[in-house]
Amino acid sequence: MTPPVTVHGGRREDPGPSTAARRRTASRRKGRRSGRRTMPYVLLVPALAVLLAALGYPLFRQAVMSFQEYGLAQQFGQPPEWVGVDNYTRLLSDSYLWTVIARSIAFCLLVAATTMVIGTALAVLMTVVSRGVRLALQISLLLAWAMPHLASLTVWQWLFDAQYGIVNWLLTSIGLDGFAGHSWLIEPLSFFIVAGVVVVWMSVPFVAFAVYAGLMQVPVELEEAAAIDGASARARFRLITVPLVKPVLLIVGLLQIIWDLKVFTQIFVLQDAGGVTRETNLIGTYIYRLGLGEGQFGLAAAASWFVLLITVGLSLYYVRVLIRDDEELTR
Amino acid sequence: MRTTRILLTGLATAALALSACGGDDGGDTDSTDEAQAAAGDDTSGDDGEDAQAPEPAEIRLWLNGGDTPDTMRDWLIEAFEEQNPGSTLVIEEQQWEGLVDRLTTSLGSASETPDVVEIGNTQAPTFTTVGAFSDLTDMLGDLGGDDLLQGFVDAGSVDGQTYAVPLYAGSKYVFYRKDLFAESGLEVPATMEEFVDAAVTLKQDNDDMQNFSGFWFPGQDWRNGVTFLWDSGGELAVQEGDEWHGALSTPESIEGLERAQQLFTEASGAPKDGNEADPQVPFCAGEVGMLSAPGWVRWSIDNEEIGCPEMMENVGVFAMPGSDGEPAPVLLGGSNIAISANSQNQELARSLVELILSDDFQAQYAENGLTPAKMSLADGLGDDEFATASIEAVTNAKLTPAAANWAVVEGSRVLEDLFVAIANGGDVEQLAADADASITEQLD
Repeated sequence: MTPPVTVHGGRREDPGPSTAARRRTASRRKGRRSGRRTMPYVLLVPALAVLLAALGYPLFRQAVMSFQEYGLAQQFGQPPEWVGVDNYTRLLSDSYLWTVIARSIAFCLLVAATTMVIGTALAVLMTVVSRGVRLALQISLLLAWAMPHLASLTVWQWLFDAQYGIVNWLLTSIGLDGFAGHSWLIEPLSFFIVAGVVVVWMSVPFVAFAVYAGLMQVPVELEEAAAIDGASARARFRLITVPLVKPVLLIVGLLQIIWDLKVFTQIFVLQDAGGVTRETNLIGTYIYRLGLGEGQFGLAAAASWFVLLITVGLSLYYVRVLIRDDEELTR
Repeated sequence: MRTTRILLTGLATAALALSACGGDDGGDTDSTDEAQAAAGDDTSGDDGEDAQAPEPAEIRLWLNGGDTPDTMRDWLIEAFEEQNPGSTLVIEEQQWEGLVDRLTTSLGSASETPDVVEIGNTQAPTFTTVGAFSDLTDMLGDLGGDDLLQGFVDAGSVDGQTYAVPLYAGSKYVFYRKDLFAESGLEVPATMEEFVDAAVTLKQDNDDMQNFSGFWFPGQDWRNGVTFLWDSGGELAVQEGDEWHGALSTPESIEGLERAQQLFTEASGAPKDGNEADPQVPFCAGEVGMLSAPGWVRWSIDNEEIGCPEMMENVGVFAMPGSDGEPAPVLLGGSNIAISANSQNQELARSLVELILSDDFQAQYAENGLTPAKMSLADGLGDDEFATASIEAVTNAKLTPAAANWAVVEGSRVLEDLFVAIANGGDVEQLAADADASITEQLD
C-alpha cells in the first residue's frame, strides 16, 4: 500500500499559497529542501526490503520454475529440465484454464459487489441505530470476522449438509419437500451460491467497519444544512455521504476484489464436502491441484502468472481512479 | 482536508487488513502446516549435530487417521524413549485427506520434515520413485524378511531397493444390520448379484426412512466403487508397451460402472456428492443396512462418544462377495512406513522403524483387527466374525495401477468427479470416455 501514500505525500508539497497552513508548510520546507528530497526514499527502504524478501524471492523462483519441467522428482533434489515456454503453451492451448479464469472473475466481481453493498448498508445502519443496538451489531460483526476460517467453514458445511443440514430441514418443514436430501454442492451454480454466501459472510465485517469509520468523518453540519434545504435522505446519501467516503469505498472495494479473486480455503473445503471438483475449481484451487495435488510445479508456476496478471488488470482501474481523485483533491 | 484524512485512514486500515490477511492466509492454505512448522522449530535446534552418532533428539512420527489406536501410540512412545534414553518421540496425527500434498511440501525440507512417516500403500510409489525416502534394503532381513507382506514390500520398492516397509494391511469389508436382514428375510449374500439384490431390497423395505441406504455409497467413494469395476473384469488403467491408458470405457469396465450406478440410484441414500468420512454417523442414525468400510469403523460404532455401542449386537460383517462367489476384488488397503531422506536423525529413525516392526508392536495391530505387517502374526486376529471377514477381504484384494504418475490421477480428483457424476445419474459411457481421456493424459 506504500505507493499511493507516497504519491499523496508528494502532491501535498505542491505550493498552495491559498491557506495559511499551506504557507507555513512551504516556508518550513525551504530550510530543509535537500533533506526532504532523500528522506522519503530512506523511509521507504525498510518496506521495500521486506517486500523484496517476502515477495521477490518467491516471484523469482516462480518465474524460473515456470520455464522448467519441475515435478516431484525435482522437489526431492533432481536437477530440473529447461523446457522454454512449453508450460505456457500447454496452458494457453487448454480451454480449461480459460474456463477457470472466466469463472473466477465472474465469482470475484459478483461476490465483491455483494459484500460492498451489504457492508455499506450495515455501516449506514450503524450510524442511525441507538448505541446499544450498534454495540450488539459491532460485536456480532467482530465475532464473524475473528472466527477462524476452517472453524466457520465446518459450521457452514453442516448448515448446508444434504441430510442433516438445518437449511434443508427448515425448507422441508415449511413445505418445500423437494429439498429433502437436496445436495447444495452438486450443481456448480448452487455450489457457487453457497461458496458466495460463505465468502460474503466472512468479509462483510471488514467492509462494514471500514466504511463506518469513514462515515464518522462526514461532518454533521453538512447533513443538517442539506436537510434544512429540503434534500431527501436518499439525496443526502448520494450527494453528500458517498462523495465524501468515496476514497474508503474505493480502497475497500479494491481489497475485496483482490481477496475474492484469490479465494481458496472456502472452495477447497467445500469441494471436499461435495460437488464436482472440475466444475467448481477457481484459480486458487486449480493451481493448488496442478501443483501440490498433481505434482506439476512448473505448470502451476506458469498458471500463477495469470492470476497475477488478472489481479493487476482488475486493480489497475481502481488504482487509477484513486490517483486521479487524489490529484483532483490537491489541485 | 477532511477527505484527505479519510483517505489516509482508509489506507492505514487497508494496510492493517492486508497484513492481517497475509498472516491469515498461511494458516488457511493448510491448517496443519502451522502445527508442523511449530513442531519443526522444536527439532531444528537439534539438527545437524547428530549426523553421525544417534545423539538424543526429538523424533517426529506421522501416523494417519485413526487406524493406530491411542493405546498403541502410548506403548510406542514409552518403548522408544526407554530404548533411546534422552530422546523423545512425538506422534503427529495426519488426515488421510490431502496427505500426499502435505508430504510433498514437508518431506522436501530438511528443517520441516517429519523423521518417520506412514504412507498409504498405493501412495508409496509416488515418493519412492523420486528419492524422498531413505534406503532400507539393508534392514529388510532384520525387520522380518520373507515374513513381511510381500505386496507391500513391492509397493515400497523401486529397482530392487526397498524404501518403504509394510506397516499393516486391512481391506474394507461389509458391515450389515442383522435385524434389518432378518426383517427383510435376507441371508448374507454369497455372490455379487445377491449383494446388489439385498441392497435394493433393504432400501425398498425401509423406504419410510428418508435417507435410508440399503448399501451406503456416497458419490465420492471411488475406492469402494472400483470393486464393481474390477469384479466385472474392468480396470482403471492398462499398460500397452510403455504407455498407460485409461481403461474405464472398456465394455467390462462400463458393466461395473453401471452396477455402481444401480447401487447409487436404487440402493443408496447417501449424499450423491458426499465423501466416505464418518460412516458411523448414518449407521448410528439407523439409516444404513450395509456399508463397506475399513475394520476400524467397528470401533467408531462401538464408541460412547461418536458411535452407538448399543447397536453392536445387531452388527454383522462379511467380505464383499464377487460374481464368482469368491471374495470380491476390493482395493488393497493398508500402509507402509518410511524414513524421510531429509531427516537429520537417520539412526534414531531406523531404531524407531525396528520398534514399529517388532513382534510386540505388530501383534497389537492384529488385536485391533488389522492385518499385521508380518504373516506369522496373523493368527493374532483371532477367529471371530471380524477376523474372518478381514482375512477373506485381503485374499482377493487389488492395487491401483502401478503407473509412476498414478498419484497425479488421484491428486486431480478425476475419479471422485467421475463417481459423483455417475451417482447423479449421468451417462456412464460418456463419463467414462471423458475420464479415460483425462487419465491417459495424466499418466503420459
